[in-house]
This record gives sequence, structure tokens and C-alpha cells, in this order.
Amino acid sequence: MNSAVCLLERAYELWPENEAVTDERRTLTYRELRNLARRAASALERGLASRAPVMVYLPKSAEMIAGFAAALYSGRPYVPTDSAAPRGRLEKIISNLAPSAVITNAALAKNLEGIAGGTRVFLMDELAGAEADDALIASALGAVTDSDPVYVMYTSGSTGTPKGVTIPHRGVLLFARWAERTFGWTSETVIANQAPLYFDVSVMDVYGAMRCGGHLLLTPEALFRFPNKLPEFLADNAVTHIYWVPTVMINVANSGALASAELPALKTVAFAGEVMPNRQLNIWRRALPGRVFANLYGPTETDVCTAYIVDREFSDSEPLPIGSPLPDMRVLLLGEDGRPVKPGETGEICVSGSGILLGYWNNPEQTAKSSVSDPDNSAYPTRYYRTGDLGWWNERGELMYSGRRDGQIKLRGNRIELGEIEAAARMLPGAENVCAVFDKPRQEIVLFLEAADEISLPAVRRGLRGAIPAYMMPGRAVTMEKLPHNANDKIDRVRLAEWLEENRPG
Amino acid sequence: MDEITARLDEFIRERCEVGDDPDYGPDVNLFDMGFLDSMGAMEVVTFAEQTFGVEITQKDITLYPMNTVNEIAEVVGRKKGLC
Repeated sequence: MNSAVCLLERAYELWPENEAVTDERRTLTYRELRNLARRAASALERGLASRAPVMVYLPKSAEMIAGFAAALYSGRPYVPTDSAAPRGRLEKIISNLAPSAVITNAALAKNLEGIAGGTRVFLMDELAGAEADDALIASALGAVTDSDPVYVMYTSGSTGTPKGVTIPHRGVLLFARWAERTFGWTSETVIANQAPLYFDVSVMDVYGAMRCGGHLLLTPEALFRFPNKLPEFLADNAVTHIYWVPTVMINVANSGALASAELPALKTVAFAGEVMPNRQLNIWRRALPGRVFANLYGPTETDVCTAYIVDREFSDSEPLPIGSPLPDMRVLLLGEDGRPVKPGETGEICVSGSGILLGYWNNPEQTAKSSVSDPDNSAYPTRYYRTGDLGWWNERGELMYSGRRDGQIKLRGNRIELGEIEAAARMLPGAENVCAVFDKPRQEIVLFLEAADEISLPAVRRGLRGAIPAYMMPGRAVTMEKLPHNANDKIDRVRLAEWLEENRPG
Repeated sequence: MDEITARLDEFIRERCEVGDDPDYGPDVNLFDMGFLDSMGAMEVVTFAEQTFGVEITQKDITLYPMNTVNEIAEVVGRKKGLC
């Protein structure tokens, strides 16, 4: 199997009438999903000369997943795109990507006017009505190898330009196989998705379900606003597996709803994306004794690269390991000097493996900056991805996470470069200088502005709305006559953090 | 229906410290405008369930929008059989 879409082809052959995916509007069986994707793929392939990636710009839906598969059946990688992305960000993505086409719907197509350039825009409804051409698909798929890109996912970039993480097919294939084996999935598996389809956390949901012939539920997004009702959703749908970001798991635990929840079907609970606090993990574990809990770790660039299956009790204050590398991954901890650190010492987590990113799309400088060769293997060097995360090996040989070495933060599971917010905020009228600081205790981003007249939070929000996504919006804006500078004449983040300590609202 | 809206409005105004914020109103999206987060949302639902003696299920939340005071009141009203 070379293309990740072979997982869908295989599911269609083995379990054609199994429910494949359900969204708020409908359910598609594997036969329906596969046939829809192949009709759309045939229309794409007939209409396009370029082999460049296909943007799939749709709301989270069964249709969006069919769009991914359509691009893959046509032999092209896909780019899952946030349907709520501000125009400025879409424009930057399109300009970096130069896609061959965009698959969208009639309502969203309007947002592309003036920024799509020469890119072909297809409506999924129209593609769905096309005729499938098996020979055309066979020939397009025949040219794909597992080293080719399967998808490009854009993540926050510190200079203000999103970076397109480009993953090969084998990354998805290896990961789906690992997940199926680790969690014991079968064609009876029911997965309730939480992560947006443009975040890598969703990759396990989408391709894991295809790998085992299971049923993927796209959990209605409104439910995440009422976390105390999520256990009821899991019960009503006999969900067997979830893979959610800790913020959601924390909200469910804190809601108290787990105490009375009856979830006999739920077998495995995985989480990743930020640190899971043990207090809330223990609430889950007490409510669901005997189930498998898995702490997964990995940036978008590697998808999941280490996993820890919780195998002992943790007190509220003990840190939870991020575990061991997946079978096809290697982890190296490098010190400031570029040498591997001694056991127990902290170093930067560097990851190699055949499934990690090929590079950042059309961005050789960033790709080079993020890569490092194994210093102990100079004759046959292996390329490692530098995560920017810090970690250490504990005495059990489990990897422990201990923070970031730069300005990247995690807010409600979203990866955010404070530099991207600052780049956008510098354009605000009246702002002489800006600095974004993460107020961790309050879990909000504070934007400090140097300006003669106060710039209010609503003004900041209005000004940034077209440039950055809602999840990056500052929760507080503070105007100062002059931002503090340190001895190197850089903005003094330490003093701003101290200012925050002393000036918390409420 | 009016009483339900009024009591929800009163609860949300107090819970979310609305004060005299001109952005607030019965048809304003409470999430988008930053009045409600998920903790607040759950408290509103629990308040509605206890005050009006209804149960708002995950299906109600999936089927009906519950982003504004009027929308939440409508779901409560429907559950009470008034609509």
C-alpha cells in the first residue's frame, strides 16, 4: 500500500456496508464514502494539469473527509483548511502553497474571491455529481509512492506566516497500524472525534477508523460548549474510543458529569496536545476503572512520536510521562552544545523516523532550521526534527516533558506562536510596539501595546479579526506609554510577566 | 415564554457580570462575544434545568442552537411544552 487512501479502499472491500463517518447531517457507509470520493477525484483529475496539493476548505463534515480522499485518489496531497480562518491567513496559505485547486462549498467560495488567483475552485456538490473513472484513478494512484506528501497542515509561525507541515503517506500508514494494534481496534470500534480536521490530532481518528473499518463520529461542535453533556453523547452512541485534547478532558472532569456516567462501551481514552493534569486524569480513571488511558506526545511535524499507556497511580503533583517512542520513531535529547545529554539531564527533544515531516512546504529555510543530524552518526547521518520541546528520561526509561525553549504556547490545545500575534498586532493603528505574553494561571493571552492613547480590547479584536484565528485572540490588552526593555534592548518579557502578577483583574 | 427569558437573562447578567455593557442583548451570541465560556455555559444549563424542571439532553444541544438568551429560552420553552 503506497497511498494513505488505500486504507479507505481496503475498508470498502472488507466492510462496504459498515458506517464510516457520521456528522450532524448524515452517515456515509464505506461504500458511499469511497464512491463519493472517487467520483470527485475523477472530476479533479480530468480538470487539473498541476500535481500541486488540493486545499479542502469546508466545515467539519463527512463531506470534508470525502474531499481529503478525493484529492488522494487523484494522486494529490490535500490541505485541510479551517473554514473559519480569517481572510488574511487564507491569503498567506494560498500564496505559500500555490494549490492546484480548492474544494469548497458555495457559501465559503465567496471568501476566496480576490485571493484565489489562478487556483481552480471546485464545489464539492458539483464534484459529487461527476462520473467515476476507474482507469483514471488507477493511473493517478499508480504514480504515488509512500514518500510523497499525503497532507500539508499549516501551523502557527513565529514570524507571522503559517508554516505548512508536509507529511508523507507512510507517516499516516504506520501511525494507523500502530493505533489499531495498540488500542485493539476492530470493525466494531466507534471513535468520537473532537479535534478539528485541520489539526494533526484528528489524523488518528480519521485513518484509525479506516484502518479497522470502524465508525467515526464527528461529535457536534456545540456539545464542547456544554462539557457536562459529553458523557451522555458517548453513552447514547456507544463510543468505544476517544482521543481528545486535555482542555476538553479537564472540562468534562470538572463538570462532575463523570460521577454518574455509565460508559460500558468506552474502552480506550487517549489525549495529547498539552499537559494533562493528574487531578483530572484521576477523576476519569476512577470513573472508568480498567480502561486504557494513553498520554500521546508529538508536534504536528511528527504526529504522535511517543506514547505512554498509564500503568500506575499518579498523585496530583507527579508529572505524567510522555512515554516511549513509537516503533518507527527515534528520540534524541540534545543539549545546548548539540551533543546528546547525560541520563536524567534535560535536552531538546529531537525526533527521527520515516513518517516525520518531509519539510515545510515551499520553505527551505524553516526546514533547514528545524533539522539536525545525529551527532554520533556522522558517516550515515539521520535527519532529526528539532521539536523545540524540552524533555528528560526518567529512571524507568520514560520520556518526561518539561516545557518549551521558545515563544510557543499551548492554549486550549491550540499551538500558538506569540510572534504570530505580535506580527499581526504591529499593524494596529497607533501601536508603536507590541508584546504578547501568555498569562498561564488565567490561561489567556495578554497583548501589551506601546501607544500614546489607550487601545482598547475591542479595538484590538476588531483590528486582529482579519489576520489571526479566534483561538489566538488576546483576552486582555494593556496599553503602556513605553514597554520595558532589558539590557540587550529587547522588550523585557520578564518584567511584563511580573507586571501581570501584580495587576491581575478580580 | 417571557418569564423564562427574563429569569435566564437575569441569571446570565449576574453570572457573566454584564453590567451596562452595550454589546449584551437577548440575541447576542454569548460565546462569540466572550460572555460565556464552557464553565458558564454549564452553569446556565444547570440553572435552567433546576429552575424550570426540565432536562436538557445532549440531543437538544446538538439539534438546536443555544448561543443566545432567546435561543436558550426557546429550548427550555420547548422542553416545557409551551412552544
